[in-house]
Amino acid sequence: MDFYTKYRKQLGQRTLLLIFAQQLLVVGAGWLLYESHQVTTIYMLIIISGLAIFGSILVAHLVTHISSEPVKKIWQAIQHIVPQGNPEPAPSLDDLRIGHELVANLANHVYQMASIVDDIEKTNTKQVKDIHTSFVANALPLPLIVLDKNDNVVYTNEVANQYFDVPVSELEGKNVYTAFDMSFANEQTVEAWLSDVRQNSVTANHAWERVRIGLPGQNNTKQFDLAAHYNKSNPMGYETMLVLFDHTEVYSQDDQAMSFVALSVHELRTPLTLLRGYIEVFDEELGPNLTPELRGFMQKMDASAQQLAAFVDNILNVAKIEDNQLTLQLHEEKWDEVLNTVIGDLSLRANVRGITIKTDIATDLPTVGVDRYSIYEVVANLLDNAIKYSKGTKEIHVTAILNKDGMVETSVKDFGLGIDGSILPHIFDKFYRNHRNRSQIGGTGLGLYLSHAIVQAHGGQISVSSKVDEGSTFSFTVLPYTKLADANKTGDTNGITRGAHGWIKNHSLYRD
Amino acid sequence: MDQSTPTPHLKKVLCIEDEHFISELYARALTKAGYDVDVQLDGQKGLAAAQTDTYDIILLDLMVPNITGIEVLRTLRDSKQTPRFHGKVIITTNLEQRDDVRSDIEKQADGYLVKAEITPRQLVEFLTNLEPTPGQA
Repeated sequence: MDFYTKYRKQLGQRTLLLIFAQQLLVVGAGWLLYESHQVTTIYMLIIISGLAIFGSILVAHLVTHISSEPVKKIWQAIQHIVPQGNPEPAPSLDDLRIGHELVANLANHVYQMASIVDDIEKTNTKQVKDIHTSFVANALPLPLIVLDKNDNVVYTNEVANQYFDVPVSELEGKNVYTAFDMSFANEQTVEAWLSDVRQNSVTANHAWERVRIGLPGQNNTKQFDLAAHYNKSNPMGYETMLVLFDHTEVYSQDDQAMSFVALSVHELRTPLTLLRGYIEVFDEELGPNLTPELRGFMQKMDASAQQLAAFVDNILNVAKIEDNQLTLQLHEEKWDEVLNTVIGDLSLRANVRGITIKTDIATDLPTVGVDRYSIYEVVANLLDNAIKYSKGTKEIHVTAILNKDGMVETSVKDFGLGIDGSILPHIFDKFYRNHRNRSQIGGTGLGLYLSHAIVQAHGGQISVSSKVDEGSTFSFTVLPYTKLADANKTGDTNGITRGAHGWIKNHSLYRD
Repeated sequence: MDQSTPTPHLKKVLCIEDEHFISELYARALTKAGYDVDVQLDGQKGLAAAQTDTYDIILLDLMVPNITGIEVLRTLRDSKQTPRFHGKVIITTNLEQRDDVRSDIEKQADGYLVKAEITPRQLVEFLTNLEPTPGQA
């Protein structure tokens, strides 16, 4: 305020001085003209008036110039620090006649403010650019990996470095697939996903479960879920962000639960492998010389070993059902062939008990879409039960028709013990057996539970009707192959893999 | 490929299998079919033999002593190893894997067989139908 008052005072003084000088000029000129006696009064008045007008214009011009000079300097000072346009040179204040302090003071303030703004801007830019010091990245309590557009690692946070036990220097700049040897549960890997979104998306998110990574050192495998964010137009070039959710402990516990069954099955399969191998050797070497009876035994022994192998698979299948992991490989099959194979293999057991299996299979059945091995277990289990519960009756009927819903429906009917109505609702439960008969007839109680799960996974239904002392009829449906192929829509002629909870693709070789 | 040729195009087989009876059965069937078969009973020796890169096919059991089959497979498929193994690796196992673990293994191998589900004759058929890798004799 002081500078302003001083400036006003200076301006007032100059203005007064100028007006006074002008008045003096006019009065002086009038006096000189009057003394000379050379001009008439009229001319004298005209000359004095002219001088007064000219003097006023001059005074106005000078006052305007003097008073606007500081404004000009401040304007120049502001122009000097404005970033856009042609930068003005910093104004020199030396030639300033009045208001020097005021202008110097204001200009100084302007420069200070500009420098503060500049500092803020620089700090901001630095914070955004330098993710290493970014609060968010390092405060994130999850491993974070950032990739550029070439899939090279441009940043890993401290948590990630600890998680992988690798220093930043060994990760940054490396290709992510070289730096991290990740394995995925299916074909949709990070690489596959990224190559897809790069073509089709500007931003995208995706998540994976049960990703594995093998790290240096014995048994050092990490298992985690993974979330990814992709942003094509990230100005810093941070195109992909990967965040890991570690589940090593939980997932390895799951593995161990399966591994008890897996180890037991391994022990069962080793002698089975040998049995099947030796049976084949005997069949090849001795087969041509054997009597028809012995040759028949050989084949039945072979079939039994196969059946046992299939049953061992089904122990695994039960474990997989429990673990939501049952998968089937559905192929186009002729249903009469499937049924006759099972019936052929089971007929020996029936014959020993004096039972004949009678079949009535419709001749015009469409081909079906089934997993041969699993559906074999279903038919075998139903026949096995029928044989067990026939109680002296001599026939079992197997029928197959195309029912009114367009499904292939198969029924296995016995004329034996039958099942009490109070038990029927629980008949497909795990380990459930007819209490009345538990002491008389052996069995695991696993068969119907397994059959139910397998039929359901095929997209069919299983049902039972029974009357005590008159026998039981178990019926199940499977889809004709054309319906199955329609439902799958991939047109994959190599077969269709189906999980118990939806369609999945698989590339297993072992069953073919 | 001349189908009438009685000799298989991939001849030398290394069977890494600790169950002696099984390797004996496999070797018998494969030898009869014209293959040249060596057997190793443990993972470490099996890997050392495989790394000579003189075999066309390796039958690899996963549960073998000293070094597991998975470790053998990983080492054989490691691009940094020299000499690089160029043959086929067929997993022969009776150990059930989780589907995702198994698909990991399948990606690195050229085949995956459950021993209890095949006979020696079926193994021979499987190997005979293997296509040689490009560049492999």
